[in-house]
Amino acid sequence: MNEEKKMAILSASDLRKYYGEFCALDGVSFKINEGEFVSIIGPNGAGKTTLINVLTGLLTPNTGKVFYKDREITGIGPEKLSKLGVARSFQLVNIFPNFTVLEFLMVAIVSRLGKGTNFYSSLLRNQEVTGEALEVAKLFGLEEKKNVLAKNLPQGDKKLLDVASAFALQPEVILLDEPTSGVSTSEKNKIMEILVSASKEIGIKSIIQVEHDMDIVFSFSDRIIAMHQGKILADATPQEIEKNEEVVCTVLGQKECFKIFSTLLKR
Amino acid sequence: MKTWQEITSLKNVKIWVLIIIGLFLLGIPLFASQFLNYLMLTFFAYAITVIGFNLLFGYTGLLSFGHALFMTVGAYTAAFLTGKFSVLYMEAILVVAVIISSILAALIGAICVRYIKIYFAMLTLAFGMLFYTFLLKFYYLTGGDEGMRVLRPYLLGFNLSEIPKMQYLTRSYYIYTFVILVILTFVMWKIVSSPFGLCLKAIRDNPEKAEYLGVSVKRYRWYAFIISGAYAAIGGALLAPAIGQVDPGLTYWTHSGTLVFMTLLGGFENFFGPLIGGIVYIFLQDKVMSLTTYWRFIFGAILAFLVIVAPGGIAGVVSSLVKKEKRDE
Amino acid sequence: METILNILFSGVFNASTLFLVAAGLQVVFGVQKVFNLACGSFYALGAYFGIVVVKSFVAGGFPKPLFIAPLIGAGLLLGFIGPIFERGLIKFVYGRDETFQLLLTFAIVMMIEDVIKFIWGTSPQTMGGIDLVYGQLNVLGATVPVYNLIVILCSLIIAALIGYILLNTKFGRIIRATADKREMSEALGINMTLVYVKVFTLGTVLGTLGGALVIPATAAVSEMGVELIVLAFAVVVIGGLGSMKGAFIGALIVGVLKSIAISTYPELEMLTIYIIVIAVLVIKPQGLFGGARV
Repeated sequence: MNEEKKMAILSASDLRKYYGEFCALDGVSFKINEGEFVSIIGPNGAGKTTLINVLTGLLTPNTGKVFYKDREITGIGPEKLSKLGVARSFQLVNIFPNFTVLEFLMVAIVSRLGKGTNFYSSLLRNQEVTGEALEVAKLFGLEEKKNVLAKNLPQGDKKLLDVASAFALQPEVILLDEPTSGVSTSEKNKIMEILVSASKEIGIKSIIQVEHDMDIVFSFSDRIIAMHQGKILADATPQEIEKNEEVVCTVLGQKECFKIFSTLLKR
Repeated sequence: MKTWQEITSLKNVKIWVLIIIGLFLLGIPLFASQFLNYLMLTFFAYAITVIGFNLLFGYTGLLSFGHALFMTVGAYTAAFLTGKFSVLYMEAILVVAVIISSILAALIGAICVRYIKIYFAMLTLAFGMLFYTFLLKFYYLTGGDEGMRVLRPYLLGFNLSEIPKMQYLTRSYYIYTFVILVILTFVMWKIVSSPFGLCLKAIRDNPEKAEYLGVSVKRYRWYAFIISGAYAAIGGALLAPAIGQVDPGLTYWTHSGTLVFMTLLGGFENFFGPLIGGIVYIFLQDKVMSLTTYWRFIFGAILAFLVIVAPGGIAGVVSSLVKKEKRDE
Repeated sequence: METILNILFSGVFNASTLFLVAAGLQVVFGVQKVFNLACGSFYALGAYFGIVVVKSFVAGGFPKPLFIAPLIGAGLLLGFIGPIFERGLIKFVYGRDETFQLLLTFAIVMMIEDVIKFIWGTSPQTMGGIDLVYGQLNVLGATVPVYNLIVILCSLIIAALIGYILLNTKFGRIIRATADKREMSEALGINMTLVYVKVFTLGTVLGTLGGALVIPATAAVSEMGVELIVLAFAVVVIGGLGSMKGAFIGALIVGVLKSIAISTYPELEMLTIYIIVIAVLVIKPQGLFGGARV
């Protein structure tokens, strides 16, 4: 009964993407449901970033479709996508270097409120926009740096800001491309917890992330999708994945392989 | 791009400075020579044009090498309406100029904003030169390279044709143009401080990210293009009666280069930069021209110097000096 | 109304010199990513300098028919002012926003225009029809000045030479590599500074040579550099930015089109070219052979 109630919020059906002869995505299909936190894992070159690019409409697949709820969104482009309720963050920090933290967040809010074509009223006096920007900054712990130029922020904060601006769009689904990459290990957990609590505050229904850090992946995900050479190797809960030797050895690497085999042997 | 907090704290001082400068400019006809007066007139016309141009260049990040096209549209509108159709109301001329340039800008912009950087620059250059060829070749309509005469328009409905020419220009026309400049500058200030202005700056800083935040990059660039075209048309329409003559050279690509030069000279990252650049350029050009015919060489060298050493222009240099003083305190 | 062949030949003649300038533009853009608006100015300098050299050659009592040797020499030699511009100005804007690079080359255009006026004045200069010294040939029913054929031949040789250099020499490989992936080339230990100087010089030489070669058949006017840039730009857009093949084909197309327009509807000459440029930019912005992202 619960299965019927859960609606697939984002789904992909048989995605294939070729770069010339090279096959980046080889028949990828899955459904993400409301309320799920899904991690996509896989070695470099498995096609994870290509998948994100296709899911967010930046790339058009050679075949296959992407659906947001029941609406096809294959290749519609980032702008239309964000208006529908799907947002994304970037692996390599993608910021407005000359904006302050507050201005940065205001762009997302202005866009969401549809005020982009308002060219006559003063932005600074707009309590709604500036107030909300401050709220989002607070959620991400950037409140004290609200007037700092984005390019002058430390790397971890730049990443947070990039993600925060995506959150400020109040999307229903958010795709995070390696949200903790380039960040020190001690900060990673902190960032993930900020992300999870912020998404609860804002009302984001599903999070999809590409992540390499397995501790993070196993701590936070409801579901893991493991990819290898453009295909999905496995799509299951963290506990099931742990037991899946194929995934462990291909994706998690030799070290993990030995670790898990040795724990299995000890049992 | 100044943070909004910095602007607020300096705001009162700035407003007083502006008022004083404004009163000074208004008073110039009372104590300056006629020639100086006339130069200021041309400055007003160019000032309007480059303020509009900088919306596109400084705020949206698009370098147009064909912007003189819209200035020329305004100028030729003035020539046609006064000369061929005997419509002498300046207000009518301005309105028609804005309408025509907006239609043209909408069409040309629709093509050009799909491209960036070099391609945008060269496309706009091509359109500017296309217009040049058109004006030159269709001489039975436009007077070819001899151009067209522009008659003295009525200001606010007043027929001032009895007043001697120089007096008309340096008094009535001067004030008229100045007031329009002030109004249009204020309007532009509103535009850049608005949510739309923020989106434009976002587009300039990182178009990809802007798109991911739901900003219609191409469409907003198009709007900026049209607005800046309208400003240029008004500038051109106001310039024409002052010069008394329009010719195709107004839209030659090097004239567009002049507009860029002025903007860069004053500083494209500062709202008032283009105004500073405009006035410095005009007076400097006058001075240099009186010293040598090879003023282009000197200006070329100045431009090279600007690009290499001081791309922020005069405003950029001033603001970095101010910052340095603050740090030294 | 001239015969089609006459039009074609004069078109190809135009194309030859256009190709040289466009090739210079392409190679500098490909490697340094600088769109050199001043390529037309170098062209103009080559033309004026060519006149000076040939006039003294003839005045010095040397046989007229040999004028082409010092002419080519002048064109080649003058190109070596390239390094002065590159080291003196251009190098400061590498890696900066394309806008500023464009503006710097525009500044150079302004300066060279006045330099030309200063040295040679504003009235048009010619070589007094020295190109007719070679007489005319009757080729397939069209009367073509032999000089024009020589120029066409020179351009073809140079085009072949460029092609050979690009494909078969170390320098050529370096050019293609840096055009493709600059950081990789740097990482491989190639001296980028030297490459930049060499490439810019090559571009300048091609420009000055083009100007020198064209001048016997036409008049030198101080605005010729400023006017040429629009044509060179048309060639590069049609052919595709960064492509040598594009420069060749683009030059042919523009040269012949110009020729056709002149003999049929002279008023529409530049108009047609601009419209085609705009059409190309809209339909296929990379041009025929270009690969650059727009």
